[in-house]
Amino acid sequence: MATVNCKDFQDRFEPSDDSPRIDSPPDLDAKAHLRDCPACRSFVQDLGMIRAAAAELAASDPEPPARIWFSLRAELEKEGIIRGTSSKSWLREFFGGRFSALPRPVLAGGYLAALLAIAFGLSGPINSRINRQRWLDGTQSSTMPLSAELTSAEKASFSSLPASESSESPVTASLHKNLEIVDNYISLCENSVREEPENELAREYLYEAYQQKADLLAQLNER
Amino acid sequence: MSTAQFLPLRFNWKTGLLAPGLLLVTSSTVFAHNIEKHFKVEPRSMVTIHNPNGKVIVKAWTKSEIMVIATHTSDKVEVDAEQTGNRVDVMTHQISASVSPEDMRADYQINVPEDAELQIHDDSGEVSVANVLGDMNVETIGAGVALEDTAGYLTVKTVGGSFQCIRCAGRLEVSSISGSFKLLSLRSYHVHAQTSKGNILFDGEFLPNGIYRLKNYSGVIEVHFSPGDSFDLSATSLKGKVNSQANLTPPAHPHTVYSKFGNAILGTFNAGHAKVELSSFDGTINILKRE
Repeated sequence: MATVNCKDFQDRFEPSDDSPRIDSPPDLDAKAHLRDCPACRSFVQDLGMIRAAAAELAASDPEPPARIWFSLRAELEKEGIIRGTSSKSWLREFFGGRFSALPRPVLAGGYLAALLAIAFGLSGPINSRINRQRWLDGTQSSTMPLSAELTSAEKASFSSLPASESSESPVTASLHKNLEIVDNYISLCENSVREEPENELAREYLYEAYQQKADLLAQLNER
Repeated sequence: MSTAQFLPLRFNWKTGLLAPGLLLVTSSTVFAHNIEKHFKVEPRSMVTIHNPNGKVIVKAWTKSEIMVIATHTSDKVEVDAEQTGNRVDVMTHQISASVSPEDMRADYQINVPEDAELQIHDDSGEVSVANVLGDMNVETIGAGVALEDTAGYLTVKTVGGSFQCIRCAGRLEVSSISGSFKLLSLRSYHVHAQTSKGNILFDGEFLPNGIYRLKNYSGVIEVHFSPGDSFDLSATSLKGKVNSQANLTPPAHPHTVYSKFGNAILGTFNAGHAKVELSSFDGTINILKRE
């Protein structure tokens, strides 16, 4: 049995130039974990795809946009590392200087990684908001017709009851009391789902409360 | 086949002695109507009972026979017990246009073979079944249900009635809105118990490959375990607390749904042979060592 958990595994597989093959774990425990864990297999595959994309981009030898170099230059000038020169000579100096030892594909890969990081950073909160709204919309679209149907069934149940029925029968009184309990839980669950629309358990409780209400109304109608 | 013995309106002696005196006091005096019927049945017989109000007590015996003893006081209701093939149907029904809930009351004592299958519907009163090993389905509104030494596939549904099961085996599914459950000395391999506003107490064995799901909205879920038990535990309360005395091994793959929302305790106790899932909306979950 694998003794490595998902966090251990992913910590060990930080992509770096020193571990060029991210799809071959270094030890048996990690290999066993990778075999058993679909989430980590997916993680490794994603990393592989990113690296492949970076390699392709590097092979095409793209020219970084000028604004990247302008901002880098401004920063380096500000820190006193370089003196103000023309753009072309600065580029030559830049590549001829501290990055001259690096092959251009590596620079392209780094550039892609930086772009991906920025994209992830910006898209996280936006995606989160969009997802919450989607969950909420999905839940509301499935529960609103149900809720409306139950409300009309409830009205029909009460209107069909004889005036004296609810006060006379302890069984009917018990059904009404329990209906109130379920209505209260529906309200609590609806609030919970609004607060955390992606919360699967809250949605599950809400659906079950609707089911219970439907059962109770059916029993009231049978009387 | 059926050899029914029908003894209608058999007054018991106490009622017989008291009745004349009471008649002098009031004109609305009621007599107990006692009915006893016997039916010969084959193995795996079925009994259906429909009683709006009153006690239903069912016990197993060794005879290949079903005995129904019914008692009711009102003249506005009638008790029927009829056999069709290997099935006996018992029913209380009104014979007057206007009856009060109290008029509908009838109490039953029924003896059945051990392997009989039961279907019981009792709105209010109580239901008690002992030593019956066949499948059974019990539905009530307010009536409490007590099972003892039963087995088979047991499904119980109440609205407000409580449920107690002592030394039950087989498969158990119980649901309620406001009833509380006590599951004691259980030997079931599948337990699914769900109530909204009720407590659940589970003090039974966790059989290998057994599945135990206990769920409520509010109230307390309490589970007792012994040092030798073996189970995988998932206990989640969305808005309430989870307390555990079990020394659990954390899971290798945490379940994101259970660990992300609410308070959750997940892990394996010993080898994790059984699966225990406890879930509450805003109630408290206690996993305690058996004393």
